[in-house]
Amino acid sequence: MPVGYSIYVQEESPIHSLDPRSKLFGLVAMFAIALLFNHPLPILALLIGVLMVGEMGNIRIKTLIPFLLASSWFVILGIFIWPFYIEQGPELFIIWNQQITLDGVLFGLAMGLRVSLMMMTAVVVMMTTSPQKLMVGLMKIGLPHKAGIALSTAIRFVPLINSERVTITEAQRTRGLNLEEGSAFSKAIKYIGVIGPLMLRTFDLMMSLSLAMDCRGFGAKKGRTSIISINIDKRDKYIFAAFIIVIGLGILARITGIGILLPSYL
Amino acid sequence: MSGNDYLVDIENLKFKYTSSEELVLKEIDFKVNKGEFVGIIGPSGAGKTTLCSIIKGLIPHTINGKIKGKVDVIGKDMKVTPPAKNAAKVGMVMQDPEGQIIGLTVKEDLAFGPENLEWDPDRILERIPEVLDMVRLSGREERESFSLSGGQKQRLAIADALMMDPELLILDEPTSELDPLGREEVFDTIKRLKEEKDITVIVVEQTVENLVNVCDRIIVLNEGEIIADNNTRDLFKQQVELMEDISGKVSLPQILEVTDKLAKEGYISKEMITPFEKKGIENLKSVLKEGGSYNEQ
Amino acid sequence: MSNKTVIECEDIYFKYPEANQMALKNINLKINEGDFIAIIGQNGAGKTTLTKLFNGLHEPTKGKVFLDNQDIEDMKTNEIIKRIGYCYQNPDHQLFSRTVYDEVEYGPNNLDFSEKEVEERVQQALEVTNLDDKEERYPFTLGKGERQRLAIASVIAMGSPILVVDEPTTGLDTNGIVQIMNLITEWNQRGHTVIVVTHDINMVAKYVPQTMVMANGRILAKGKTREVLTKKEELKEAFVKQPQVTRVGDELSEFGISKDVMTIEELYNEIKNKIEKSQDYERRAE
Repeated sequence: MPVGYSIYVQEESPIHSLDPRSKLFGLVAMFAIALLFNHPLPILALLIGVLMVGEMGNIRIKTLIPFLLASSWFVILGIFIWPFYIEQGPELFIIWNQQITLDGVLFGLAMGLRVSLMMMTAVVVMMTTSPQKLMVGLMKIGLPHKAGIALSTAIRFVPLINSERVTITEAQRTRGLNLEEGSAFSKAIKYIGVIGPLMLRTFDLMMSLSLAMDCRGFGAKKGRTSIISINIDKRDKYIFAAFIIVIGLGILARITGIGILLPSYL
Repeated sequence: MSGNDYLVDIENLKFKYTSSEELVLKEIDFKVNKGEFVGIIGPSGAGKTTLCSIIKGLIPHTINGKIKGKVDVIGKDMKVTPPAKNAAKVGMVMQDPEGQIIGLTVKEDLAFGPENLEWDPDRILERIPEVLDMVRLSGREERESFSLSGGQKQRLAIADALMMDPELLILDEPTSELDPLGREEVFDTIKRLKEEKDITVIVVEQTVENLVNVCDRIIVLNEGEIIADNNTRDLFKQQVELMEDISGKVSLPQILEVTDKLAKEGYISKEMITPFEKKGIENLKSVLKEGGSYNEQ
Repeated sequence: MSNKTVIECEDIYFKYPEANQMALKNINLKINEGDFIAIIGQNGAGKTTLTKLFNGLHEPTKGKVFLDNQDIEDMKTNEIIKRIGYCYQNPDHQLFSRTVYDEVEYGPNNLDFSEKEVEERVQQALEVTNLDDKEERYPFTLGKGERQRLAIASVIAMGSPILVVDEPTTGLDTNGIVQIMNLITEWNQRGHTVIVVTHDINMVAKYVPQTMVMANGRILAKGKTREVLTKKEELKEAFVKQPQVTRVGDELSEFGISKDVMTIEELYNEIKNKIEKSQDYERRAE
């Protein structure tokens, strides 16, 4: 079930049990690979691959659909905008004195699918990796402890800050703050009545927190241990190897022109 | 070298914040023995939180200020020891239940302190159930910290401090943001600590009624000075002016105010002044039984 | 006490959308003009939820709420705010202005008062809350008790005839508590209906003439404080303890002390009288 403040879905699966570092590497690698191709077909294949990984991670398609729909917006944008800039390829029709070519449409599709691919990879990684493990993974790669703790503490406070925002909005409403009527501009100005106390309250909490952290030994020693253990095992090593190979192949493809629609474009 | 091994040894302490000229603590002499349960009471602004922060080392290291005098806590000079360095020996629980919970779940929050001290993860996981039992939150390791009630959050804060098995535990107004049920939960926990653990405790509180059942000794702070320091039973009996000085400023047990007034007006003997409800009822019953006569001690 | 009903709840049931259980059950209640009433009970009993129904923040799942005999459902937010002012528990959830004056002015400015009326109301609010010498101060330099009074001032400046204050004494020292209780008593004496949600049973016994006890979403008792605080069964069900002096008086009842002692002065006087009346009494001269 999803944990309130993040999109992490708690399940048992082969993807969940991978070390967060291999998943993070996969994420970065996938971004790079997406940029290597600009024909829609290989990108679509990769996207389907990512969705299958999601399936292996016991993520139901239902939960992925909102994100797919969000990214489809970019696909539509791509198909409508890019053709006006691309002149190569067989002509399809003419609109507003501009020539629309097949290559133009395909390129636009590829650009949109690229965003889709990057987004869905990030979503699948975040849904199969708990924020805690992610944090420990990042810290083992080299993220400073203070930053890591700051990030995870920030996440812990999201539901609290949200409930404070609701309370503050109610409190100010009883003093006559009307956020329903008025132009967008005046509403923004009125929102100061909520943002003001919220910022101050958040600041207070942060101050309290830094005192509490000092009281409990934060910074007393050079390093930190963690009750969350992560281990790189054989499967993780295969993942690293696999992605490195794919990147290699991708570079090869880019150089030879396979899977590339328009060699002069990114 | 003095043979006295005080856990807290404060002499001639003077303190002011850097931004002002006024002394917040004027001349504090305060010593605590191992195993004592000391209560600190006094009106807002008397310097109670400041004193606690100095004992823990938050002042002057995390909060700025100028300290003069001796501040030795468990053998360390706190003027030069940052609070993180004595986290294993001195635990502190503060007023705001929200501002002390760091972990997303109860388990993670409890692990935070020991993780900072580079404890072995297995040792941490072993200790967690012990500590949760102490504060009556057993079985809630996986609960999200956000979902706990106020009283539960404060008990978690106490558990956080207990994780590192400290010698001294300081609680600065732990119940002022809680409802009566939460307040009772926290005080029951403190009482249990007294009965079951070998630990020294300093508690700052506004409602003296709860404090008297748990503390053997109470000090009264007013305007930066300690105006009274005695065991609970005798504190209010021996210093007549004390009641007048603090009566409107601190919430004293009602039985104390009643017995004090009756004694002052000569209706009962001074010996009968008490902050304890049961004792007070006993005393008053004996007075009313005998038809009002009493013997001078 | 007036007979005009200003708030009426008819057969109210209320459930939060995400919850499984009813937060309020079978609430039937009338509050009259000029009443000064405390609502007590533990966290989760439904006290705050009920008061939020009074000012339309929540709509009842079943039943009706009437303000001055008008169904609250037919009223617009602005109309409701003019009838009933609500002060939240934590002043830091409201304060954000540069000066105390600005803060108190915020509420009335949102309503359609003339400039002169706003000024009058602000002055009155500052006077009642003893903040008139602090007009130009930045709210966050004030102590907690002062900020609490400021929050109340900013609500009473809106001039509504009914005031609801939610736990105004949490986290305050004795002095702070006394100031708040004095100010809401004063406001009630000036003709306003005041409803205070609180845990502080000693303060209720000392200052508030009427009390309502809630537990598990129901009203267990309502009436004169003196009577309600002797209803041991209902108080026990609500996890509310009687004031210490009441408990002591009750234990001494076999000697003729009343079971409904409310304050220190009352207990003192009763014991003193019993001692003076008894036969073997010998008063020691000072």
